[in-house]
Amino acid sequence: MIKQLSVFVQNEIGSLAGVTTVLKDNNINLRAIASFDTPEFAILRIVVDQPEKAKNLLSENGFAVKMSEAVAVELEDKPGELHGMLQEIALANLGVNYIYSIVLRNGKAPLMIVNTDNLEKTATVLKEKGYRVAEQGDLEA
Amino acid sequence: MIWNEAKECMSRDEITNLQSARLRKMVDRVYHSVEFYRKKMQQMGIEPGDIKGVEDLHKLPFTTKNDLRDNYPFGLFAVPQSEIVRIHASSGTTGKATVVGYTRRDIEIWSECVARVLAMDGVGPQDKIQVAYGYGLFTGGLGLHYGAENLGATVIPMSTGNTQKLITMMQDFGATAIACTPSYLLHIAETLEEAGQIGNIKLKAAICGAEPWTENMRKEIEAKLNLKAYDIYGLSEIMGPGVAADCEYHNGLHVYEDHFIPEIINTETLEPCKEGEIGELVFTTITKEALPLFRYRTRDLTSISYDKCECGRTLARISRFKGRSDDMLIIRGVNVFPSQVEAALLEISETSPHYMLIVDRVNNLDILEVQVEVEESFFSDEIRQLESLTKKIAHVLQSALGLSVKVTLVEPKTIQRSEGKAKRVIDKRKLV
Repeated sequence: MIKQLSVFVQNEIGSLAGVTTVLKDNNINLRAIASFDTPEFAILRIVVDQPEKAKNLLSENGFAVKMSEAVAVELEDKPGELHGMLQEIALANLGVNYIYSIVLRNGKAPLMIVNTDNLEKTATVLKEKGYRVAEQGDLEA
Repeated sequence: MIWNEAKECMSRDEITNLQSARLRKMVDRVYHSVEFYRKKMQQMGIEPGDIKGVEDLHKLPFTTKNDLRDNYPFGLFAVPQSEIVRIHASSGTTGKATVVGYTRRDIEIWSECVARVLAMDGVGPQDKIQVAYGYGLFTGGLGLHYGAENLGATVIPMSTGNTQKLITMMQDFGATAIACTPSYLLHIAETLEEAGQIGNIKLKAAICGAEPWTENMRKEIEAKLNLKAYDIYGLSEIMGPGVAADCEYHNGLHVYEDHFIPEIINTETLEPCKEGEIGELVFTTITKEALPLFRYRTRDLTSISYDKCECGRTLARISRFKGRSDDMLIIRGVNVFPSQVEAALLEISETSPHYMLIVDRVNNLDILEVQVEVEESFFSDEIRQLESLTKKIAHVLQSALGLSVKVTLVEPKTIQRSEGKAKRVIDKRKLV
């Protein structure tokens, strides 16, 4: 299980850069980023190397931030890999709320970050099926 | 035509004498029937006998919207409940409504005033008038309705909310007059234009009010719909629509001075302004039975002229309104105070009381947007939860204000904090 941060941002010019400024100025490394938008606002989901520090800094800078867990699964870079994983989640009768990826990992395998209704069960099911589920430590520098 | 020449064309002396006689009677009656005013007068050391005529009006105490609220709901009524035949109400500043009552005679006088307005606007028994103000607690719908019936016109009580039906009936029934807010009439005009049906209507007069508008808007309405548009003014505390209205010369709104005495006061000193000087409009009712009010402060800014009008009427005229002396907004004819929004937001546990109201006019319809800050404590990382929060806030505001509201969530601490008087409203509507 890894930690992700969700940040509320208005859907307007410069709002994402406002978040990345805080991270850059404090030497926090982004591992993954995904934004989910509506016409008025967006939720920016990020995975970083120092989640607690990033959460505190963003809160201090006036952002509404929520830290939560997500399942990160290592996949091989070949056709059908993602499909196989999603199939296992579906067979376990688990719903996917959202999914995003870390593709570049300095030579390591790509990671898929998945949020479902039951994170523990998802991690367990995938491990049983032979998938490697990453931990926060795997993301730190 | 002039509906009641005997009252609308009196000499200034005749008006003053009539007002003085009615004022004396009213002060005496109110002193003996309304505890609120009796106490105020006693505190100020005045007795009914001290008010000998209009020249003594300034000795009477002012009345504010707060006084009506403090005496909610019926504390200022001057007659027993058995004599009240109708209640109207408008939303108040903190959620409590401002309640007004009418005796049978009050309704008759109101209908007389509205009939005068309609006759002045060229409407008569041969006309079919669509009343497209809201019916219900708001005075607009029923006020125009009773006046038009009194005049003998055929009333089509449309109320608000269904433009397509209104347009269909306008054409099928051959409506010749319409009463609604000016911005709604412009919206109707554009809908007709888009449908290519502007030539199929028979409207010749529009009676517009309940919100501020400009000469340019009037000209635009007249050009688009090929009719004559007139301004009607009123407020529920004094009566409802029909306290004042303009004639075909559009040179100010004639006040029905045989029922209401207007004054213009300086909002700082509370002293009377000179003729032509801009100040706050104050009314004293002199015939109202159920809810007589002394020197009610309307918060509307205007000036007054006593010159005889080209139309022949001698009634005092107030100029187009120059604004408000408080923070009230009029949105689609509905009175909105920023404090109402604040009170409603405080009832929702997940929100902070930091908000900004943005009023705009899109396609001639007023839009109210309320920006609310997202607090970290209730921020969810799921979009659907934020959307359901948005809906919840919109619903609470809608029932508090009586107006549909667009709610936008914004980042924390992006709305200016209150340092003294915080700016809570951005009004983008351009009234030029």
